[in-house]
Amino acid sequence: MSAPLLQLNTITKSFDAVRALKGVSFTLNPGEVHALLGENGAGKSTLIKVITGAHQPNSGTIEINGQLVEKLTPASAHKLGIAAIYQQPALFPDLSAAENIALGLEPTSGLRRINWAQRRAQARDLLKRVGADIDPETEVRNLSMPQQQLVEIARSLGKGARILIMDEPTASLTQKEVELLFGVICDLRRQGVGIIYISHRLEEIFAVADRVTVLRDGESVATHAIGVIDKPKLIRLMVGREVAAIYPPAQTAPGQVVLSLSKVGCTKSQVHDVTFDVRAGEVFGLAGLVGAGRTELARMLFGITPTDSGTIRLNGETIQIHSPQQAIDHGIGYVPEDRRRHGVILEMSVAANATMSVHRRIFPGAWLRFGAEQELAKKYIHDLSIKTYSPDSNVNTLSGGNQQKVALARWLATGPKVLILDEPTQGVDVGAKAEIHKLIRNLAAQGLAVIMISSDLPEIMGMSDRIGVMLGGTITAILDGKSADADAVMAAALGQTQRAGEMSAQ
Amino acid sequence: MKYFREISVALALLALLVALAIVAPAFFQPQPLLSLATREAPTLIVACGMALVIICRQIDISVASQFAICSVCAGLLAAMKLPLVVVLPASICIGAILGSINGALIAGLGLPSIVVTLATMVTWREALRWQRQGEFVNLPDNVQWFGLSQFAGQWTVIAVAVVLLILLAIAMKRIAAGRFVYAVGSDAEAARLAGIPPQRVTFLTFAFMGALVGLAAMMNVVQSPQVDPKSGTGIELKTIAAVVVGGVAISGGRGNLWGAFAGLLLLACVSPALTHLHVDSYWEKAIQGMIILLAVVADGIRSKRGNA
Amino acid sequence: MKNFVRSNLAKHEAILLVVVIAEWFYFNSVGAHFGSLDNTFDIVRHSVEIGLLALVMTPIILTGGIDLSVGSLLGLCAILFGKLWRDAGLSPATAGICTVGIGAVAGGLNATLITWLRLPPLIVTLGTYSLFRGLAEAITRGVDTFTGFPASFLFLGQERFLGMPAQAPIFVCVAIVVWLLVHRTTFGRSFRAIGFSPDGARYAGLPVDRRIAMVYVLAGIVSALAAIIYTARLGQAKADAGTGYELYAITAVVLGGTSIFGGIGTVHGTLLGVAAIAVLSNGLVHARQPREVAGMLTGLLLILALSSSVIPKIFARLRARRQTRRHDKAPNSKIQAPEKLQSSNTD
Repeated sequence: MSAPLLQLNTITKSFDAVRALKGVSFTLNPGEVHALLGENGAGKSTLIKVITGAHQPNSGTIEINGQLVEKLTPASAHKLGIAAIYQQPALFPDLSAAENIALGLEPTSGLRRINWAQRRAQARDLLKRVGADIDPETEVRNLSMPQQQLVEIARSLGKGARILIMDEPTASLTQKEVELLFGVICDLRRQGVGIIYISHRLEEIFAVADRVTVLRDGESVATHAIGVIDKPKLIRLMVGREVAAIYPPAQTAPGQVVLSLSKVGCTKSQVHDVTFDVRAGEVFGLAGLVGAGRTELARMLFGITPTDSGTIRLNGETIQIHSPQQAIDHGIGYVPEDRRRHGVILEMSVAANATMSVHRRIFPGAWLRFGAEQELAKKYIHDLSIKTYSPDSNVNTLSGGNQQKVALARWLATGPKVLILDEPTQGVDVGAKAEIHKLIRNLAAQGLAVIMISSDLPEIMGMSDRIGVMLGGTITAILDGKSADADAVMAAALGQTQRAGEMSAQ
Repeated sequence: MKYFREISVALALLALLVALAIVAPAFFQPQPLLSLATREAPTLIVACGMALVIICRQIDISVASQFAICSVCAGLLAAMKLPLVVVLPASICIGAILGSINGALIAGLGLPSIVVTLATMVTWREALRWQRQGEFVNLPDNVQWFGLSQFAGQWTVIAVAVVLLILLAIAMKRIAAGRFVYAVGSDAEAARLAGIPPQRVTFLTFAFMGALVGLAAMMNVVQSPQVDPKSGTGIELKTIAAVVVGGVAISGGRGNLWGAFAGLLLLACVSPALTHLHVDSYWEKAIQGMIILLAVVADGIRSKRGNA
Repeated sequence: MKNFVRSNLAKHEAILLVVVIAEWFYFNSVGAHFGSLDNTFDIVRHSVEIGLLALVMTPIILTGGIDLSVGSLLGLCAILFGKLWRDAGLSPATAGICTVGIGAVAGGLNATLITWLRLPPLIVTLGTYSLFRGLAEAITRGVDTFTGFPASFLFLGQERFLGMPAQAPIFVCVAIVVWLLVHRTTFGRSFRAIGFSPDGARYAGLPVDRRIAMVYVLAGIVSALAAIIYTARLGQAKADAGTGYELYAITAVVLGGTSIFGGIGTVHGTLLGVAAIAVLSNGLVHARQPREVAGMLTGLLLILALSSSVIPKIFARLRARRQTRRHDKAPNSKIQAPEKLQSSNTD
């Protein structure tokens, strides 16, 4: 057999205090679809960025076509035929689809003339190959998410990629588009292209992959051929522990309805007709695929993109939420999904972050009172056991889990009635994860209404009293947290019945 | 509509011209129009460069100082009886060097272009004043209009500017490097991931801008028998205004040179139009500011609507 | 980390203080009369207007914004003040109050465009930079100059009050107000938060738009105040008043350790930055250097101050890269223990 297309030997990579990869080895053969599996934060994205040259590893070696590559940069990776398709398409929004594809075709020497007639024809061909019905002249900013993804796949194909990385390529595709994509993948495999395929959907992995490698907490746990492994075993490898045991149980029965939504919608966010209630002391889980409208719904409730239809009631009173300030005044808190960009201000201290949303209460008359601030910060550092050198340490010196606790502390300080948590344990290590889960339970026990968005299915199943499943911008099913099983939640999220599991088994 | 902005600017220009034709037909005499076009030709060259810089999501407000330095240096070289074939490349080189300094600070050190070019603007300007004390440079006879007749000289200057505009507009569309500038301005990180080096593109854009300023300065020098050390004052505002009015987004990645051209024509007509409409010419700067604000407000409202 | 930043900033300010003192001693030894009380007052008089602009530029840059229009607004306000006094027949005091109001409105124009339409401050204030100066020129037709102000008004700019230049107490008051605003109130906290991460600030429920509007309106008000002091100092108001002052103000702020990217910076740093520039330009005149040299040095100083904030980072990165390479080339590097590399790679 020929040399592997790609071989990674004991790659490590750290960010500040966090070690994202701890000696990962990985091989990819020509004509192989190698699935990469792991929970959120297991290190998949970091590994991909190492392979595409976006991150330089701290140690370890990379061999491509059997040759040691000294230093992989995005440009050299590009030349070596490595292409990646990310969850968020990395396209140029201001350029047309054809131009975006053409940029992939271009030689890096900038002075060559571009033959637009030929490029356009090529672009149209490539788009047809991936089964996309797109006018090549449309500006990418005007394309929908799945369309943009198809453009990106077409671009990678155009580059003549030998190593193609697909990071959750089907996250926002329809069933038909997924099948087309699998067709394309099979074509590519026949042509000897190696594909690294990342997905949370086990069915897809069994449908297209030849081998699967499981990552957990930055380590590669196991690599198996698809034929010799089954789903339960894969899940066990991913999770590395029994699922049920680690989630703290509900301590009290839910009380009165706190927040009540009826037919709530927002055209701009493409969310419509959302109806559900959340009770005091209840954890209401929001499940669904990426792009189903969960984060959009949370942003509506927090006043960032205000609702334009339906009614929101808080403790029976109809309220309007036009801005985050109003949401806070009503007692609604939101711990956003993107912690580093939205959840905390990294360059500011733990204390400053903790008091950020309670300026008016802690600092009457706008005067800073450093004593009161320290007191509040110390209280939450103690209560949430935030590991920090001092309240004056900057948040970016903390680990991911502790950063998340700071984000939580900020909202707890507001004394909220409703707390919305968006992917509260994403990118958080296992220990901190369990602590955060316990914390959420305690908050609920104190009478808070908690809405928890999570893409981590075991987490949703284990934590929620009830589960609302979103699809296409609305809630399509509300299941009981105790009795629902994972398959039912997944099927609802996919908009299918139980047969969903057998979809493209070809 | 894809070319909405370019078309609306062209319509505004047309409206202005029609209004002038009715109210002040004297505006359309060939001789004054020719000298207007000649006067604005160097500005057009600088505006082309400015469009590139802004498409690359940067800005350069040091062009006026670069322009003055290139003009004076070219004048001094010409006064040493060097032939134009030496003086012209020398002027372009000096411009390119000044531009490279900006580029190195901005691309190499990752400093914000607005502050860097603000600093180089004042440094070059004061250095020139210090060295020359505002002295004019007298040029030998054969320099004005390249030693041609005034008529031929004027047309040469205009031709250089227009040919450059056409070549650059085509290059931005047809040559990979042109697309690189759009890509970097649109999203530098995505460009990096696509194998385009954003730093190199940014650096070269500034160096090229400098070279264009050197060329423009030369096209200005040949128009008079003396070199004014203050020539080019205000050219940065005029070109930024032209480019922004012409639909090049200040946030980078969008717009084209034709729009910038239309924007410049519009702005260039303001001053003579004021004269012909018997408005005080002291309003020119205020009107220029108004046009910039109107253009960005229109952009803002459009994008606000687009989001809603 | 905050301690680190704080101590680093403190170090920056200490260095700047040493620079100012060194400048002072140097020029004192070269130039005659440099150290005299009269000349010290002269430095203060000449730097009050730029100092005021730099003071209000600090919160703007803290929010990650910039205001290029302050110098032009100073010119416009000076003209309007003259107009109100001479042509509308108002007393200098009334005219002054009206001028400050006009300054607030002009700052409000910047603020509205920036917050309501979410336009970049750079291009908005570039537009108003042109607009304000253009209006000043249009109103005066480029030639009209306002002179002959009453002595009671000129006192503000030319006489002494309690033994110091009369404008100094005003400057001190504004400095104290801005210092308290930035360092001791939740407003200052919000400015920093917005400068570090506008989205983060919005998600924390801070009234981002109102805070941003506030700094630009404040800049308008103080620019108008600076215009009045400028007019009193020179005894005349012309359309070109304050040309290029925005640059000096920005230079002073950046020199004072405020990050042009927002978030980091102090008001006392800005004051030291103003002092460094003022002493330099006055001292060079006393050292018989042409005025242009001071301007040139200011520009160079700004570039140096900007570079000094990034060059250490770049060196650290280069060093890290070199070390990685050395490790790669070392024998057995392929199976290098991860821990070992990590310790050598922390920057």
